[in-house]
Amino acid sequence: MASRNVLLIILPLCLLGMLFTSAVHASRDEYKFATEQQRQDFKKLTATLRCPMCQNQNIADSDAMIAHDMRRKVYQLITEGQTSDQVIDFMKTRYGDFVYYQPPVTKTTIWLWLLPIVVLFVGAYLVFTRKPSTPVTQDESAALAKAEALLEEDK
Amino acid sequence: MSKPIRFVLPLVFFLGLTFFLFQGLFSDPRERDAQTLEKPMPAFSLPDLMDPTTLHTESVFLGEVTLLNVWGVWCVTCKVELPYLTSLRKEGKRIVGLYYDQDLDPDFGTKTLQRVQQEVLSTTDSLGDPFVFNIFDVYRDTSLDLGVTGAPETLLIDQNGIIRVHHIGDVNPRVWEQKFAKLYNELVTNTQNGVKD
Repeated sequence: MASRNVLLIILPLCLLGMLFTSAVHASRDEYKFATEQQRQDFKKLTATLRCPMCQNQNIADSDAMIAHDMRRKVYQLITEGQTSDQVIDFMKTRYGDFVYYQPPVTKTTIWLWLLPIVVLFVGAYLVFTRKPSTPVTQDESAALAKAEALLEEDK
Repeated sequence: MSKPIRFVLPLVFFLGLTFFLFQGLFSDPRERDAQTLEKPMPAFSLPDLMDPTTLHTESVFLGEVTLLNVWGVWCVTCKVELPYLTSLRKEGKRIVGLYYDQDLDPDFGTKTLQRVQQEVLSTTDSLGDPFVFNIFDVYRDTSLDLGVTGAPETLLIDQNGIIRVHHIGDVNPRVWEQKFAKLYNELVTNTQNGVKD
């Protein structure tokens, strides 16, 4: 019984400990901001900028060195008073459109928006121009009537 | 809808999709066009790795065709290409190193410069030293300006300080032939002619 009591004490302590570790992890990379707006901008930017080294991770989530360096740069630019757009442009001139999760509309990427609409129209066309199924022939209707009769009998 | 279309339309759609996805099997998701191409070397002012009192700026690339090799001793592939780069130097090519350290975290920096120099020297002593000098990118700012994603990367910079080739990965005889040789020889010839004029 004693061991069970011990467990009852240890378990909540462990859970409490987990709470704290997550808090420590979150503050590990904490940068200091002058205004709340800057902090929000930083949070948003690091979530929408893509790490060029790793496949599909934003720079907030990635632990790659390049992501560290980019976060530091974003912080530096924001504290210098640059707007979010300026920071995004800064990164784009260095790492290309790839670095930002919102793709620009270009001749190639326009299909991302057009294709779903095209598919919708093609689908609508197919559905609305469908002919009703061919009417049953005389023989078939006779056979059907016979089958119906048999089914009735079984009841 | 007539029978043939009913048969052909899904087939065309299927073949199109197959072709599209098949191509994807052989494409490299890491391959991207460098943004730095045909642009001048970004402005910088960084210390020499071995003699930190000397400051290098982007003007070190003017007047001579240069290969800029982004590297670090912690990078295994960089070590692999050192002997080949050294042989390029012996052929008379000017190679400048842009050195950056991975362990040297600007936010929590711990490593001494002496330590870094020592590591570099022991590496170049055993594998060859292709560098005229090494620029120490302390905060990795210039690497970021160059759109460097890792090491090694090698850039060919012409005599006007314009970046002409940006190669990601190691330089070996095959890569040299494919990506550098032709343009490099062209640039060198132009520079020499320019000097004569």
